[in-house]
Amino acid sequence: MRKVFVPASLDEVWRFFEDNPGATVYTGGTDLLVRMYKGALNPESLICLDRIKELKGVHDMGEEIRIGACSTHTEMLGDPLVSQHLPVLRRAIEVIGSPLIRNMGTIGGNICTASPAGDTLPPLYALQAEVELCSKMNVKRMPIRDFIGGPGSTCLRAAEIVSAVWVKKPVEYNLQHFEKVGQRNALACSVVSLAAVLRIAHDGVVEKAALAWGSVGPTVITCPEAEEALVGGPLSRIRVQVAASLARQAVRPISDIRGSEDYRRSVAGNLLMRLISAD
Amino acid sequence: MISRMLEIGYPQPRFDARSKVTGEEKYALDQCPESMLWAGAKRAGIPHGLIRKIDLSRARLLQGVHAVLTRADVPGTNRQGIVHKDQPVLAGHKVRHCGDPVVLVLAETRDILRTALNLIEVDIEPLPGVFDPEEALLPEAPLVHETGNLLRKAVIQTGNVSEAFQQCDVVVEDSFETASQEHAFLETENGLAWLEPDGRVVLIVSTQAPFRDRFEIGHALGLQPDMIRVIGPYLGGGFGGKNGATVQCLLVLAAMHAGNRPVKMWWEREESSTAGYKRHPVRMRYRLGAMNDGTLHALGCELFYDTGPYAHLGVEVMARGMEHAGGCYRIPNTFIEGRCVYTNNPISGAMRGFGVCQVSFGIEGMMDLMASRLGMSRLDIRLKNALRKGDRNCSGVTLVHSTGIVPCIESLGRHGLWTERGGWKAAAGPFKRRGIGIAAVSNAMGYGRGLQDSAIAKVELTWDGKIRVYNGVSDMGQGNSSAFVQIAGEVLRQDASRMELVQPDTDRTHPSGSSCAGRTTYTYGNALIKACEQLRDKLLHRAALMLSIDEPRGLALLPGRVRHLPSGREVPLELLGRFLPESDRIAVNQFVMPVSQDDINTGKEFKIGFPHVLFAYAAHLAYVEVDELTGKVEVKGYLAVTDGGRVINPSCFEQQVQGSVTQGIGYGLTEEVLVSEGKILNPNFTNYIIPTFLDIPEIASLPMESVEATGPFHMKGIGEVGTNGPLPAIAGAVEDAMGCRIRRSPITAESILHAMRNGRGAPR
Amino acid sequence: MKFSFYVNGQQTQVDVSPDRKFVDVLREDLGLTGTKEGCGAGECGACTILVEGLPRLSCLMTVAQLQGCHVTTVEGLVVEERLHPVQEAFVEHGAVQCGFCTPGVVLAAVDLLDRNPEPTREQIREGLSGNLCRCGGYAKIVDAVEAAGRKMREGTPQ
Repeated sequence: MRKVFVPASLDEVWRFFEDNPGATVYTGGTDLLVRMYKGALNPESLICLDRIKELKGVHDMGEEIRIGACSTHTEMLGDPLVSQHLPVLRRAIEVIGSPLIRNMGTIGGNICTASPAGDTLPPLYALQAEVELCSKMNVKRMPIRDFIGGPGSTCLRAAEIVSAVWVKKPVEYNLQHFEKVGQRNALACSVVSLAAVLRIAHDGVVEKAALAWGSVGPTVITCPEAEEALVGGPLSRIRVQVAASLARQAVRPISDIRGSEDYRRSVAGNLLMRLISAD
Repeated sequence: MISRMLEIGYPQPRFDARSKVTGEEKYALDQCPESMLWAGAKRAGIPHGLIRKIDLSRARLLQGVHAVLTRADVPGTNRQGIVHKDQPVLAGHKVRHCGDPVVLVLAETRDILRTALNLIEVDIEPLPGVFDPEEALLPEAPLVHETGNLLRKAVIQTGNVSEAFQQCDVVVEDSFETASQEHAFLETENGLAWLEPDGRVVLIVSTQAPFRDRFEIGHALGLQPDMIRVIGPYLGGGFGGKNGATVQCLLVLAAMHAGNRPVKMWWEREESSTAGYKRHPVRMRYRLGAMNDGTLHALGCELFYDTGPYAHLGVEVMARGMEHAGGCYRIPNTFIEGRCVYTNNPISGAMRGFGVCQVSFGIEGMMDLMASRLGMSRLDIRLKNALRKGDRNCSGVTLVHSTGIVPCIESLGRHGLWTERGGWKAAAGPFKRRGIGIAAVSNAMGYGRGLQDSAIAKVELTWDGKIRVYNGVSDMGQGNSSAFVQIAGEVLRQDASRMELVQPDTDRTHPSGSSCAGRTTYTYGNALIKACEQLRDKLLHRAALMLSIDEPRGLALLPGRVRHLPSGREVPLELLGRFLPESDRIAVNQFVMPVSQDDINTGKEFKIGFPHVLFAYAAHLAYVEVDELTGKVEVKGYLAVTDGGRVINPSCFEQQVQGSVTQGIGYGLTEEVLVSEGKILNPNFTNYIIPTFLDIPEIASLPMESVEATGPFHMKGIGEVGTNGPLPAIAGAVEDAMGCRIRRSPITAESILHAMRNGRGAPR
Repeated sequence: MKFSFYVNGQQTQVDVSPDRKFVDVLREDLGLTGTKEGCGAGECGACTILVEGLPRLSCLMTVAQLQGCHVTTVEGLVVEERLHPVQEAFVEHGAVQCGFCTPGVVLAAVDLLDRNPEPTREQIREGLSGNLCRCGGYAKIVDAVEAAGRKMREGTPQ
């Protein structure tokens, strides 16, 4: 019989890990339990973090925002800090799965699943978020881009959990944009997505830009060349087209049942064009 | 609360709505007796091969495994199939698609069942497979069956097509291809079966054809059909996918080895995809000729239906498709050639729109092409050629029944969505383009010639004075049984509180055919009216006896009672119920659907299912918006004008129209069973993309109420016709928006972006 | 292992494996077959239940997670034979076809109206977008939820 442990505190988690070092951690179960119940995964024991208060909630930490890893997507959508400071993340969360999935899935889960199509990942990359890792003896932070190694792969160690995500308040940006291309308008897995945060001066000149694409590489793709191409002038069609072609060179998509490599590459560039009409 | 009177033409709440909305209604899947065993199949997993060895030893040793069965345990022919008996219950020698079942396991729990299935090793020597219907016809193609890969070739022709094409002023040609579609009912294939002490087997199963199931099971397993009782509760969706044996034969085989315990079989979503039936993928080549004034003159058409490894209803599906290949137009000279071909792809079978969805994409695409070639409006060319009563259709059948396609198109043409389309189109936002498309479609009703399409209705005055309808034709969600209650209530003048309904049960109800082909309400409804009239006359006569009145004149059935109007004296139905012996409280009557009386000398290859004489019609209009950056298409508005004769229940009519359009939009934009070398790549709801609440626009539905003289209260079945319009209407709208025609379904974002980049309709 | 929780207000105990899928507990162990399962992957919403008032997918929960929780299934919406206004509106407005998605949609709609008593049609679509209806009855479901909202706001006694 497979053990399922539903602790109420982190201390209990560490104690359970001592007896069950191979335990698998989950919270919403929207990824792990699908695979387990379909027989694709056979964890020897499970820890459900759903009830640990320390892992929930969005907190204002001055220059930074700390999001508890077990905050559900629905909870984040209802949080004023997220709406005020992180609209690019909020927009990405709004289009995750469905309301039911958002009631269960968490930001920590989205990060640890490390899917190239993970919807929160491009905004978190664009905002240079850091992941807080916690084990019995240690708490440390690490840039998300270092934490995620490839599809389904992170540097999470045994008996360690992701406890929070830290995001610097993006005060230097005044335009936040997110778009996901899915095969339908709900319950869609991203085929290509783009998170963009920019600072645009009064005269329309782009002063700073951070761009990140989902589903066009083994992990989120960033492209400093495209960012540089946007900076220093207005969001004109011709300038954005230059950035778009640089982006198409930078992405490393694969072909799968949701879209071909070619389609993803084209659209990755095309999505930048939307910035022309975004405000 | 006063119970509503049941009257025809009113949007009565469905009779089954309350029990469904509370969760009380028991579907087959809800049968979970404590003592039950779980049955499941080990499937081939490869598309074509010879079974070398099956190792059952580890599964048999597993605790909780009750039985492990193979081909050797199957009595009877081991062949199932509705018309063509070519599908093994358990494959013994050869596997012909990935979903072929090879071993059947019975276990105490579902977990043990799953483990046991994983412990079975089936060693299959792979054979080269064939996955393309045209390649399957090449001489060197691997054979799916020893009899050859051509299941049926057929021709429908009228007039003289080669001469006719020479007479045409304009001839256009094009080819089209449609994808395979899943039924994707939420309740996957399942059932519960057990042996009775007297040796009979009982099934409670999610089925569209309980009566026919007995014969299919009996033939496959060597049982007398009367030894099989099939109970068919409400289905959690069917759409054609539960027409014909799914779990039935395996389940009865399991019950025969379950030691009188009930056995449940429930296909998981992925298994439903792998083993279940699909809509036929079809490849079409069209040639259409017209005169300069737009009069259609000649049609040439070549169709390839990929039926997968087994016929299921492949030949009949193709027959229906060929019959509709010329659409709802007057084309005096036709040559329509079809080939239904075996491959090692998943099994194709019946699905709502039964062969017609596919050719509607073809012929409507040709109509758009012809219109643009002639510089005519898409609406005008359709109106000019639309069939009228008395015309012959593309099979040469004379249309002697209600034929409402002209008023459907006219009504669409008057609708604001058509007349105001220009303004909407021009108002597209940045990076968006808008277009409008239309389609005129039809769908035949009933089995067609060669197989009597009949129903037997039974209605009873119960001993406590209720009216009980014994429905013999499954309700898969379309609401036919609710319509039956409404019909009986109308004829017998009762309200809903006095009605009872029995769902199909081969022991209690009468054979009334399968739930399909837009026939359920039409055929059974007609039988029911006759049975109810018989019961009414009987009740009036018996009431006259009780009131000592000389003759039943002046008597009226009222809710719960019979009143003698001149005197005001009444007999409660409860009293009549108790007064009459059971045999006298029952009326049974039957109805047979009319068939074409034309002696058409074509389509002789079809022994059954051709031709048809009764059709429902519809004119559809789609508003689409295409995103230039992603190619994504959204349907922003939709209108369906439907000729289903007189409407029995406007609410249920809309349900059918909106539902079929929704499935059609899925078929048009996202739904495709992706198959590579016979393996399904998207056997789940994550990757098989059906529309959600956010993908479907408001769907305006207008009835065009012709009078179908032969229909119950002058109605026709409209369960299918709505499925045929969306794909061609959307394709036309996309062409209107982008300047490029997509000839393969579904019309994905990627296909549009691809077409745009190939020079047509590049971003502005 | 033993687990106890409240189902529709009633304290309930089951003795099952801790990783047992909660929808199976409801349907097979407790006989509450109103909750359906359509895909086992969280994609269809047929298994929707309310846990502490919030819609959840019971096909993606282990029974252990429910220990001590308050669960509402579709069976719990009927009080003394009286339908919930949402159920009543589904009946009246033709929002039920095959009915297999219905219990899940009804529960999602109850929660939606709880949080937003006067939703627009677009908000209803968005709020129910985790529930698939293969019969394609979306428009009438939206009609029904709109009507239920109106009725609940007016507080009309049934």
